[in-house]
Amino acid sequence: MSHDPWLWIGAFLTISIFSFLYKDNPVYKFAEHLFVGVANGYYIALYWHNSLKPNLFEPLSAGQFIYFVPFLLGLLYFTRFIPRISWLVRIPIGFMIGWGAGVSIPATFQAHILKQLEGTIVTPESFVNPITGIWALIIILGVICTIIYFFFSKEHKGIFGFGSRVGIIFIMIGFGASFGYTVMARVSLLIGRIQFLFGPWLGLIK
Amino acid sequence: MKRTIPQAICLMIGIVMVVQFFVPHPISLQFNSMILKWVIVLTAFAMVLAIGNLIMHHTAKIEKKREGWYYSLVTLISMVVMAIIGLCLGVESESLFQKIYLNILAPLGSTMFALLAYYMASAAYRAFKARSLEATLLLIAAFVVMIGFMPFGQYLHPKFPAFAEWVMQVPNMASKRGILFGIAFGSIATALKIILGIERSWLGGKE
Amino acid sequence: MRWFELISRIDRRIIYLLLTIFVILPFFIPLKISQNIMYQTKKLFDFIEDIQPNDKAVIISIDYTPQTQPECHPMALALLKHCFRRHIPVLGVSFDPQGPGLAVEAFAMVANEINREATNHQDSIIYGEDYVYLGWKSGRIAAIIQMGESIKDVFPRDYFRNLIDSFPLTQRIRNYKDVAIAIIVAGAAYSDEWVMYAQPRYGIRVGAGVTAVMAPEYYPYLQVGQFSGMLSGMKGAAEYEKLIFDHGYTKVPGKAGTGMDSQSMVHLLIIVFILLGNIGYFFTRRKR
Repeated sequence: MSHDPWLWIGAFLTISIFSFLYKDNPVYKFAEHLFVGVANGYYIALYWHNSLKPNLFEPLSAGQFIYFVPFLLGLLYFTRFIPRISWLVRIPIGFMIGWGAGVSIPATFQAHILKQLEGTIVTPESFVNPITGIWALIIILGVICTIIYFFFSKEHKGIFGFGSRVGIIFIMIGFGASFGYTVMARVSLLIGRIQFLFGPWLGLIK
Repeated sequence: MKRTIPQAICLMIGIVMVVQFFVPHPISLQFNSMILKWVIVLTAFAMVLAIGNLIMHHTAKIEKKREGWYYSLVTLISMVVMAIIGLCLGVESESLFQKIYLNILAPLGSTMFALLAYYMASAAYRAFKARSLEATLLLIAAFVVMIGFMPFGQYLHPKFPAFAEWVMQVPNMASKRGILFGIAFGSIATALKIILGIERSWLGGKE
Repeated sequence: MRWFELISRIDRRIIYLLLTIFVILPFFIPLKISQNIMYQTKKLFDFIEDIQPNDKAVIISIDYTPQTQPECHPMALALLKHCFRRHIPVLGVSFDPQGPGLAVEAFAMVANEINREATNHQDSIIYGEDYVYLGWKSGRIAAIIQMGESIKDVFPRDYFRNLIDSFPLTQRIRNYKDVAIAIIVAGAAYSDEWVMYAQPRYGIRVGAGVTAVMAPEYYPYLQVGQFSGMLSGMKGAAEYEKLIFDHGYTKVPGKAGTGMDSQSMVHLLIIVFILLGNIGYFFTRRKR
């Protein structure tokens, strides 16, 4: 069993959160609120040391006065708390949203459309190995039918309806596969906590 | 003016960033670098706003002595203490800041998500029923992946892991790619609507 | 109550108890089932094997949080051991605010483990020469794009507030041209942003260590080569640990491998529960 007080604190907090499985209780609520507080205190220190100080205040104090522009834009965020001039908060928000939208358009086209189309198109090279050629045909069928299923501007009747039915089969297989992986993910988190309690804290396992 | 100026800024910067991607001229690259550095700083300011909101919410709860106000006290005190420790005492690997992160923040965060394993097991038992063809397909695919990717899958049949891998690489990949196309087109459409001022919900408020 | 009604109404506390027992049991009674290696794990391993030592760096972006630590931390440790043993320089970054705490721990753990066995300077892992942890930065997408031009513009100081010009490693690793691959170990969709924003502009190779929940979403990226390899969840971590163990890069098997025994038991349990639920459902429906 560990003699490190920090490990005992960690173990106590772990068990506090696990107590919620029985029912909500004051110990769980205390741990939950402690988490929110410590996390935000952590973020404050992190944002200062890693972003604001090296990327804004140090360049400003070194004479790079162009940084007054993002500094002033950033201060406009605080106008949200002053009702008379709270509309000014839209300026930095508009800048950020416009920037994000503009940068995302060519990036999405390049990475999520053009490149993915490359992988979907069936060419004679796909049939160098006949088996992988068949898989390539199944892939293109699955992609097209999945897109058909999610196209709600046209009624799913006739050949379109058939494509939609095939699409739902592929989607269900995809979701089933995702569920299978999700089980592994969730159980991993529990295994990690149990490993901590039985290992470093209680010393029962290596 | 209160809506026009922000929309104009959004339009200008949006179009400039789209065009910039295609212009390799040094001036374009320098301009892009400058804007990127501004965005890094602005994102940090946005966080300050979030923390301000948190402080206001919990302070109001304490002042009005609403139910559970003492928990808000725990939140505020722990936030201030952690911030002071980080700002004044440093963030090195053996620091108090790091110890609090590893022994308080990390166990709390991990355990909250570890609870999901129990809920997932209980939900799978209760809700995962083969009520229709689609649900049955989902169930079969889930079983194939669960058995195939676990080490014991190879003992059921030596080809089982390869079959599970095929399910991931062919039908699963096809459906995920179809969904990816849909999301990509949707996000491009939304981005264009925002830049052109058709989508204005980000402006908020009435005036 | 009939038997099929009984199996349809198992109390959730029994489910919780059995789940806990099935997780704990393999810690004391190891199953010792061998691990098969998925192709995407081998692909990433082979990519790192082919990197020339003391040449281009590997960026490891540690973007997981304590919430996804059991899956992602073993991946990060295994990747670091692989890179350090092969004398491949590593630049650590984080774009998730909770990443730095775990990143600092990961680097310290692996460096200390290797330095305990090192007998000379060549075999030691020295901060500033073999690795630098640059820390966290806000504005993730902007930072990822700007690093392609100049890493120093984004990270003028490292996480420990030293000027990055003061390190031999960061004096020669200036931008993505000096980087062989960026491996993003994350519990959220951060790898997408590297593929979308860094790869088209700068042609940087991208690898990923992702949680099992996200892994099925990334098969399209693997198929077209946008990912040069991927580690999927605890299984991916266990496979990578096995690969580096089999190739002699570590003498100690990792934690993810021991966790896979519990995974196997719990998966069987959940399959049984789902089958019981369905059997009860069908017989109840037939009775009606």
